[in-house]
Amino acid sequence: MVIGGAAMGLQGSAYLTKDIDFCYARTPANIERLANALQPFHPVLRGAPADLPFRFDAKTIAQGLNFTLSTDLGDLDFLGEVSGLGSFQEVLAESDVRTVGVVDCRVLSLEGLIKSKIAAGRPRDLYVLPELRGLSQVKKKAGVE
Amino acid sequence: MTQDQEKTVLDLVTNPPLGSDLAKAKEFGIDLTLFIATLRRTPTERARSLSEGARIFQVAKQIQRK
Repeated sequence: MVIGGAAMGLQGSAYLTKDIDFCYARTPANIERLANALQPFHPVLRGAPADLPFRFDAKTIAQGLNFTLSTDLGDLDFLGEVSGLGSFQEVLAESDVRTVGVVDCRVLSLEGLIKSKIAAGRPRDLYVLPELRGLSQVKKKAGVE
Repeated sequence: MTQDQEKTVLDLVTNPPLGSDLAKAKEFGIDLTLFIATLRRTPTERARSLSEGARIFQVAKQIQRK
């Protein structure tokens, strides 16, 4: 599920981001799927020394929670939990489906984004709150997705 | 967005109701007129715009390295 800045953009915010954040389900089957899906794109830990041994496989994912990766597709972050919302199932309840190209994507809703930004509480999270709240209001009143 | 929806958005961003979240966002310094452009786009177009934004970051990083 798409969360963070990319979710903001998909929901209509003018916010720019250079990475894409995802919340992923930590079931053994999904962990395996995630590892297999990313494997062709050479994921490495972002900012880590190039010679640091790292394999983004099912074992690594199961032993960790949040991963900030550089891949052939760009910078991708995978979070097992989202501040203020919880794990994948709770985040799922706060999501919308948005069709991007031919793919139906789960995207964190504006309400979910607002909750998570308040909970994260860092200056950069609080900074985007006025825009998210304003955007939420205009979308509700105009009935726009 | 339909024409009616676009009109509603335009009305709201040009005259945000007093004390509303939109008015607070404007006070905070958000350019509310950006919502007209972003909401006019489909999610696919928004994704494309994000991707272009990411590319700008990438180019800026490369220039910084030189």
